Amino acid sequence: MLISFNWLKQYIDLPNSLTPEELALKLTMSTVEVEKIVKQGKDLDNIVVGLVKKVVKHPDADKLKVCIVNDGAQDWQVVCGGSNVKEGMKVAFGRIGAKVRWHGEGELVELAKAKIRGVESFGMICASTEIGLGDRFPLKDEKEILDLSFVVPAEAGIQKSNAMDSRLHGNDKIVGSPHLIGGQALSAVLGLDDIIFEIDNKSLSNRPDLWGHYGMAREVGALFNKKLVNYKIKDCKIGTGRDLSVRVEDKKLCPRYMAVAIEGIKVAPSPDWLQKKLLAVGLRPINNIVDITNYVMLDLGQPMHAFDKSKIKNQKSKITIVVRRAEGGERFVSLDGKEFELTPENLVISSNDKAIALAGVMGGRESGVEDETTAVIYESANFNAANVRRTSVKLGLRTDSSARFEKSLDPNNCELALRKALELTLELCPGAKIASKIIDVKDFHLQQGPIELPLEFLSKKIGLEIEKKQAVKILSDLDFEVKEKKDVLLVKIPTWRATKDISIAEDLVEEVARIYGYGNIPTSLPKFPIVPPPKNELRSLERRIKEILALEFSFSEVYNYSFVSPQLLERLGIDPADLIELDNPVAKDRPFLRRSLWPGLLENAEVNLHRFDAVRMFEIGRVFNSEVAGLRVSGNSDELLPGQPLYLGLVFAGKGVLTPFYELSAALTGVLDRLGCVVVLKPAIHELGKVIHRGRQAQILVNGEGVGAITEISPSFSERLGINERVVVAEVDLEKLLLVLKNSLRYQPLPVYPEVIRDIAFVVDKKVEHARIIFELKKVDRLIASVEIFDVYEGKNLPAGKKSLAYHITYRSDSKTLESAEVDAAHVRVGEVLKKKFGAETRTTIVKSVV
Amino acid sequence: MKEQLEKIKKDFLKSLVEIKNVLQLEELEQRFFSRRSGELTQAMKNLKDLSVEARQEFGKLANEVKHELEEVFAKKKEEIKMSEMGDILEKETIDVTQPKLPAKEAGHLHPNTLVQNNLEDLFTSMGFMVLDGPELESEYYNFTTLNMPSDDPARDTQDTFYIKSHSDWVMRTQTSSMQVRALEKYGAPIRMVVPGRCFRNEATDAAHEHTFCQLEGLVVDKNISVSHLIGVMKELLRGVFKRDVETRLRPGHFQFVEPGFELDIKCLICGGVGCGACKHSGWIETMPCGLVHPKVLAYGGLDPKEWTGFAFGLGMTRLVMQRYCIDDIRHLQGGDLRFLKQF
Repeated sequence: MLISFNWLKQYIDLPNSLTPEELALKLTMSTVEVEKIVKQGKDLDNIVVGLVKKVVKHPDADKLKVCIVNDGAQDWQVVCGGSNVKEGMKVAFGRIGAKVRWHGEGELVELAKAKIRGVESFGMICASTEIGLGDRFPLKDEKEILDLSFVVPAEAGIQKSNAMDSRLHGNDKIVGSPHLIGGQALSAVLGLDDIIFEIDNKSLSNRPDLWGHYGMAREVGALFNKKLVNYKIKDCKIGTGRDLSVRVEDKKLCPRYMAVAIEGIKVAPSPDWLQKKLLAVGLRPINNIVDITNYVMLDLGQPMHAFDKSKIKNQKSKITIVVRRAEGGERFVSLDGKEFELTPENLVISSNDKAIALAGVMGGRESGVEDETTAVIYESANFNAANVRRTSVKLGLRTDSSARFEKSLDPNNCELALRKALELTLELCPGAKIASKIIDVKDFHLQQGPIELPLEFLSKKIGLEIEKKQAVKILSDLDFEVKEKKDVLLVKIPTWRATKDISIAEDLVEEVARIYGYGNIPTSLPKFPIVPPPKNELRSLERRIKEILALEFSFSEVYNYSFVSPQLLERLGIDPADLIELDNPVAKDRPFLRRSLWPGLLENAEVNLHRFDAVRMFEIGRVFNSEVAGLRVSGNSDELLPGQPLYLGLVFAGKGVLTPFYELSAALTGVLDRLGCVVVLKPAIHELGKVIHRGRQAQILVNGEGVGAITEISPSFSERLGINERVVVAEVDLEKLLLVLKNSLRYQPLPVYPEVIRDIAFVVDKKVEHARIIFELKKVDRLIASVEIFDVYEGKNLPAGKKSLAYHITYRSDSKTLESAEVDAAHVRVGEVLKKKFGAETRTTIVKSVV
Repeated sequence: MKEQLEKIKKDFLKSLVEIKNVLQLEELEQRFFSRRSGELTQAMKNLKDLSVEARQEFGKLANEVKHELEEVFAKKKEEIKMSEMGDILEKETIDVTQPKLPAKEAGHLHPNTLVQNNLEDLFTSMGFMVLDGPELESEYYNFTTLNMPSDDPARDTQDTFYIKSHSDWVMRTQTSSMQVRALEKYGAPIRMVVPGRCFRNEATDAAHEHTFCQLEGLVVDKNISVSHLIGVMKELLRGVFKRDVETRLRPGHFQFVEPGFELDIKCLICGGVGCGACKHSGWIETMPCGLVHPKVLAYGGLDPKEWTGFAFGLGMTRLVMQRYCIDDIRHLQGGDLRFLKQF
């Protein structure tokens, strides 16, 4: 929201020495965040009033003219394309060095001497949009330059703070401007001497009272110990007409509705002072009636609306305004021409059974004020915050009005606002008269307390002894009524803060503390018993795995998005129906929640294989699976969230690596081994969908439980992703792993007697698995201490479908030194068992070493 | 005999001086000490032909000479060896600046993991437990229990991702969603942090991401005050930045705290003078925080009259970017190994 410094000064007498920066800092430190301070007219440096002395046609361009412009000091030759430029005109002359926006678009550009179609040009005659004045001086023609001939110069120095005085200059532009002199700075001529504070709206969300200048001035007054000027309104003669009536059907959604009819209106542009005020805080002037409602909103924070009386009366010229819920399917066309279909959730203002406004959000087109309007109905009402918000969110209609009602406005403010609007209307339209009684339908009750604030509670919360006198002063300055009852303050809340903002003692603690100054609170540390915090085992597991993978197995960690695209799913043959979908994804590109980590890792592999010979990457993150039960949606509900297990995913591919599988099986078994668990890889479990390579996949069993899978991606799928290498992925459910994880590592006594190592090499069918061989060999003889594979060979010199395997077999006894004959006998049995169980043909048996 | 021994000694010492290498040294050893023909050996052998008295007299002398020569010889030998080793070492010089080939590829942890590990260690050392929670969360924990009932405008400011066909499920917008879950599970007193992913539906550019990491902190105990909050935040920041940082507290409005604050730190880059990093304000908005709202405590099953607490949120992603001077937030989830291998 924008706040005008001059406007604030209207209501509060701030010391002249107070700089805008000091005020901004004070507000930021005590109330709301000031994001920016903008000095009006700061971009108008080097733009002055120029007098056009001569205009001739450009020799080489039909649409350009060559002008001589006097800037008060000298004449300049300027090339100009303005359709309306003529001799004797007073214009906005941009000297060399001025900053302009070409055709009102893009960044500011600094003017330099230029040659335009062969003619030198020293500066520029500006259009209003080129110097940021488009709202104040709207273009009637695209090529039009700003004609200042009829502009009255603002008074020098600070603008008169009293609106009444400024208004004397209003609305009589045509009289001529004897005082406008070439060379005068445009910002001074236009009275652009205000300073605008940009306030962060988020920091205002709990302060409905600060959404207008008067409320902000009240707050500033409390911060600087200055008295707020009373909001004075002249009494007006109220009408007696009985044509207008109001019926509120839902008083919960509309606690107060005030309306009044005015006749004898003449719709015209607002006077300069009013336009300037609106423009200063970013609102475009429309006409006097609309501007009055906007002014009141910016002044008091109370949104208002004006209906054209003639458009909402019935056949008997009577008006009955009904505030009701919309019918299902009821149609409404807003002021800006958009059509909506309403539901009973929306509250409407209606007349003759037709919706004429969306309560608190926007008026209707058909009932709006136009140039021909001669009578209006003013609405000053209060609507339920939640309902206004719901309607404006659902319909996508966010307005200055809805932004304010959403914050829970004070219904008491309606009356002041309405009276202010009446006063202004009578002033701006001398022929106007109030034609009806002021209708006021109200049913509200504010919780103004008093709230009990024990001083002990206050001090304990802040962590500092606050004196009673000081607390009382701070609260009183903020317009709270404070009564003392021993060591308890009874605090009555002013109406403008009683709607939502202040309701409990903690809220008052904040009030006292922020004015006392957070910087003045001494720091201290709480005392806690010395006990170690409970350990998060899953997090520790995650961290260990990451470190082992990165430090020992050269894998790099990646964080991928939790969202996946339909394109990727389709390429990987994953049915999106199995995935949870976002209702409102970013730009529709990744609407699904990942159910696995490996699709993202495959994308990583594809991208990085363009630059690296080998890609080893992993991620640990949550995936989303609606078929798995998650946590409860609330403490006392049986509904469960979808399961969100923590997965480890890995990917590997390398240029020329034809069986990448072992890289991942080595890394995973290595990690699990470090964690002290027993890992078994079991072939042929279809866990990862269609993309698997059927001959190259395994389930990972830890202590007998399946915790994950490794698979090469079928080349037909990896090619679809643009990966030309063989690529393997793996996934482990870390929560499952944690359940079965048991570090069974124990010390083994060192052997007393020497061991004998014999090797054996043999040829078997390709399908015979290493794991089965190990299993059988370990059973052959009690003397076998360990069996270790050291060579695998397929191909030349071997029949098709066969492979040659070679193992070290270690023989050892715990009770004696082995004799050669014993080992020989056992080793012969090894050969026999291999032949019997697997049809193995022994190639060699070698005595390798005796230790 | 005596003369003979002295001559041998003289000859030996004379020859020794001229020796330059191992070969000559071996020759000298052969000449004097050889078991069969060595000059000294021979002289010693001749002793046995002498009379008992002479043998006693010269035997002693011969032994002395022998020891003396052996000692000098050993010294010379060491000298020669050292000098020759010096030559070998010189010849064997390698380029120590060259890496081992073939290079072993190194693995890398994500910068967020590195920062998060540090933070978790810091908080654990301060007695906080580390919790994690669902990223797809119910509105109840993400909003309602944080004192944001339906239709609270504060919900709007969070650009929430909603889940299709489950209008009451959201992608958590803040790790604060774990406050009440933790209170329900562990009760009070409690000290906990929740690092993790959060999601906001906003367009991505160099400074904005729809997915980012936060770290939520919660302390609930008896008699916790604003003064404690400031004290703990200061210690925490000292732990994070490993130096004292100047802080300022100003009002900030968050539904789940009362009073609520924005904690700014004095810009570490310009020291508060004003620079691009702090948007020329001298201060960097670092941590929203505040005393836990009594309604949140009540949702967590605690009596707000008995318990108080404070909560804070650290923008972990922003911290990572500050720590490593990362200028584009999109790198963090871009999956580009050229980026990941830098950490």
